[in-house]
Amino acid sequence: MTAGLYVHVPFCLTRCGYCDFNAYAGLGHLASRYVDALEAEAGLWADAWRGERFGSVFLGGGTPTTLDADELARLLARLRERFDLEPGAEVTIEANPDTVDEEKLAALREAGYTRLSMGAQSFDQRVLDALERVHGPASVHRAFAAARAAGHTDVNLDLIYGANGETLASWRRTLEETIALRPEHVSAYALTIEPATPLGRKVQAGLVPGPEPDLQADMFDLACELLGEAGYGHYEVSNWAFPGFECRHNLGYWRKQPYLGLGAGAHSYRDGRRWWNVRPPAEYLDVVEHGQRPVGGEERLTPEDERLEDVFLKLRILEGVPVASVDRDVASGFLQQGLLRRRDGHLVPTERGMLLLNELVLALAG
Amino acid sequence: MTETNRLRNFCIVAHIDHGKSTLADRILELTHAVAARDMRDQYLDRMDLERERGITIKAQAVRLTYQLDDTYVLNLIDTPGHVDFTYEVSRSLAACEGAVLLVDAAQGIEAQTLANFHLARDAGLAIIPALNKIDLPQADPEETAREVGELVGWDPKDVLRISAKTGQDVPALLQKVIELVPAPQGRREDPLRALVFDSTFDAYRGVVAYVRVKDGVLPSRAKIHLMAANADSEAEECGVFAPEATPVPELGPGEVGYLVTGMKDVHLAKVGDTVTIAGKHRAREPLPGYREPKPMVWSGLYPAEGGDYTALRDALDKLKLNDAALQYEPETSKALGFGFRCGFLGLLHMDIVKERLEREFGLELIATAPNVEFHVIRGNEVIVVHNPSEMPAPGTYDHVEEPVVLATIVTPSTYLGAVLELCQSRRGELIDITYLSPERAEVHYRLPLAEIIFDFFDQLKSKTRGYASLDYEPVGYERADLVRVDILLHGEPVDAFSSVVHRDKAAQYGRQLVERLRELIPRQLFDVAIQAAIGSRVVARETIKAKRKDVLAKCYGGDITRKRKLLEQQKKGKARLRRVGRVDVPQEAFIAALRVDQRAGQKAGQRTGGKP
Ligand SMILES: Nc1nc2c(ncn2[C@@H]2O[C@H](COP(=O)(O)OP(=O)(O)OP(=O)(O)O)[C@@H](O)[C@H]2O)c(=O)[nH]1
Ligand code: SF4
Ligand SMILES: [Mg+2]
Repeated sequence: MTAGLYVHVPFCLTRCGYCDFNAYAGLGHLASRYVDALEAEAGLWADAWRGERFGSVFLGGGTPTTLDADELARLLARLRERFDLEPGAEVTIEANPDTVDEEKLAALREAGYTRLSMGAQSFDQRVLDALERVHGPASVHRAFAAARAAGHTDVNLDLIYGANGETLASWRRTLEETIALRPEHVSAYALTIEPATPLGRKVQAGLVPGPEPDLQADMFDLACELLGEAGYGHYEVSNWAFPGFECRHNLGYWRKQPYLGLGAGAHSYRDGRRWWNVRPPAEYLDVVEHGQRPVGGEERLTPEDERLEDVFLKLRILEGVPVASVDRDVASGFLQQGLLRRRDGHLVPTERGMLLLNELVLALAG
Repeated sequence: MTETNRLRNFCIVAHIDHGKSTLADRILELTHAVAARDMRDQYLDRMDLERERGITIKAQAVRLTYQLDDTYVLNLIDTPGHVDFTYEVSRSLAACEGAVLLVDAAQGIEAQTLANFHLARDAGLAIIPALNKIDLPQADPEETAREVGELVGWDPKDVLRISAKTGQDVPALLQKVIELVPAPQGRREDPLRALVFDSTFDAYRGVVAYVRVKDGVLPSRAKIHLMAANADSEAEECGVFAPEATPVPELGPGEVGYLVTGMKDVHLAKVGDTVTIAGKHRAREPLPGYREPKPMVWSGLYPAEGGDYTALRDALDKLKLNDAALQYEPETSKALGFGFRCGFLGLLHMDIVKERLEREFGLELIATAPNVEFHVIRGNEVIVVHNPSEMPAPGTYDHVEEPVVLATIVTPSTYLGAVLELCQSRRGELIDITYLSPERAEVHYRLPLAEIIFDFFDQLKSKTRGYASLDYEPVGYERADLVRVDILLHGEPVDAFSSVVHRDKAAQYGRQLVERLRELIPRQLFDVAIQAAIGSRVVARETIKAKRKDVLAKCYGGDITRKRKLLEQQKKGKARLRRVGRVDVPQEAFIAALRVDQRAGQKAGQRTGGKP
């Protein structure tokens, strides 16, 4: 079992209205100090993680591509020195369309980044406006073309559906335009309103309607249909990929393989223990610069926690749970309602079941 | 121990918020009963609930010493003003020889001023009227003094004008109390008779009775006999509230205090009972007790967690000691399991009881929509119905009767039209209108209790800009055209949702309840039909469409803990739902009917109000 390495870069050009990630606009001046700190933090963990083989690296954020290509190249090189990266490891970097051009993307490829994950979100300007994204559909096309020109052969596009004003027809166009580009991987998320965000506050104040769950359900169905027809395999509730292009790093999370997170607010997991770094970048810098591990909290999973997570994650990635582990009446009810199906001695959610996954998890985890 | 001729027992009565508890504060200060640093506003409102809501719920007795020409001992009882707690007032009156009738000089006489005045006069008490809040710029002492003088038969010039807030002329009021309230009558030599006017349950000491000694002497440790309960006990201590509980060697004739009865059985020490000495010194005749108050509304109380039934029964037994007006009988609901049908004096009382049970006994409760008591007449038989779901099927009885009250409404004359209109729309029958002054009318109406118990008061306030006040007393039962409205969930009737309403309003009521339930019941994994039916006739129907989406969009490394916690929360939320048949129903749904009632009433009021 290989491990994953996550690196968090908390900088963004602007804040998107719906985002509740540990991300900040206007902290660009901290960037080079932050890269130094990441490298220092890697040093603080290197011994403890010696002997662990890493099958994937994921630079997420925030927007890692706000750092320059040189910094990103140097960072990856340092990580290779500190940790045992498998040859052929998957190395993903998240990119915002407005922060990349062909030259930078080529440099990243050169530096060893093998996979590109781009936040497209929608090809409808009104939807992008409703999400308070700064880029337009044109920059996605431009950035995607640049990625291909720079030689990237494993590209993901992130989409979000169900923003205020988005119709099923508009979502269909976004899906069609996405498919026309033929990225190797597509993540399509139902917009979730988080209370502690600008959008969340507007929804709470009644200024903007929240997403309509039935419409989002229709949108999910449409994504299943169109992406399926185009040859994408549906391998997690919100993720589709051409065969062989499933994201190894994310699968690691879902299969409960160990992972080490570096950077502000990054989470780690190993041997039934989960811990996380302090969230504010300034605090993170301060602690690391004093030569300390920046751990802000931890939890040890109880057997009940493990069971709940297991069922939850196994259902999400359609591996399902063994038939024998579930109360018969509960299972047969869901089988009859068409929310679960049987596959190789396992109970696996159907497409309708995926939309009601919380119900399934709570019932099956007992 | 105190010579009775220097003893004065009096209470303060008034309309709600006219300043009784604030006046008690000033009296506590004048008598140096509370150290300045311990003083706080409405000192005698001791319960958290009273302080939070700014109203008195329980009457409170305190014993004070006042130095004038001589040293006097005052037993003061602060009473509540809200109509739901009138029973507290009448019990307090029986422990006193006098009453201060306080009237807010900015408001004038209100409905409970009248009601409490009549109670005090009928109890034979000396009444000392006083105008309060004369510090307020909008106070109108001249006019209020005229109204009050007329009511109690005093020359308006003699009516005291005080400010409980500033303390102005409170000493003069105390002087009047000492002059005009007669000293108690009892003789030390007579056999002991002490009236139990309130009680509480103390976890360590058992039943503590609040008593007023009428005749004889109650020693601190005595073998006592409770006459109505016909039970003996070894009393452990007696004492006075000064204002904290303070043991004394004895309570002499006329004195007010507490008695640690030594009894652990809460059923024995009933309010209204007479305490005497066990054995040959027993009194022959008990004191006249209290009339048991008749509950005005009934509602089902159920433990939110099924298993707490015995805890709830225990809590009710104990609370009943401290709230003599509370009544309860066990009942079973298909939807809610084992619980109690409880009788209350009004919605505020119901709310307070539920809160006290939850706070003081750590319970979590579901209350069903309240209703009045119905009498179903079948030949010579009268079937008393406290729970709408027990109403016999139509056609199996002759007719139904509902409780009727005599309502007194005091209103500025300018709003008289609006008040009459409101009462008419509530099936009211006008008795008469009299005038306290050309500007203020006193209206008497006969009204079905069911029409006024829920939202009538709010309506009255909003139609009179808050100026009208209301009091009512039951006057019996009258025949009415009432029907039972049932609610079916996914085809199954839910007993806890049944209610009895007037035929003319039944269909509209059913529609609104169904609508409200549709908003409150979460979507399930299948379509759920909600129907309202009168007998077998469905009058309203709504469908809750099956839920299609309930999934967390994203879950990556950093999220797993958070997402697990979200799921755990969702699981807890589910545990709070009640499974009724196949449908999960939230607890709020069970009291939804109450709010529907209010809205149905409002609309009906507007509609009828529009007619010329
Ligand atoms: N200005 C002014 N306000 C007063 C006076 N007396 C009482 N108040 C205010 O009137 C309000 C009600 O006073 P309480 O003493 O709680 O009235 P209450 O009669 O005990 O009320 P209930 O027990 O709920 O019936 C409070 O806000 C007091 O501060 C007064 O003489 N002058
Ligand atoms: S770019 Fe991504 S991380 Fe940055 S604010 Fe927008 S959604 Fe959040
Ligand atoms: Mg009070």
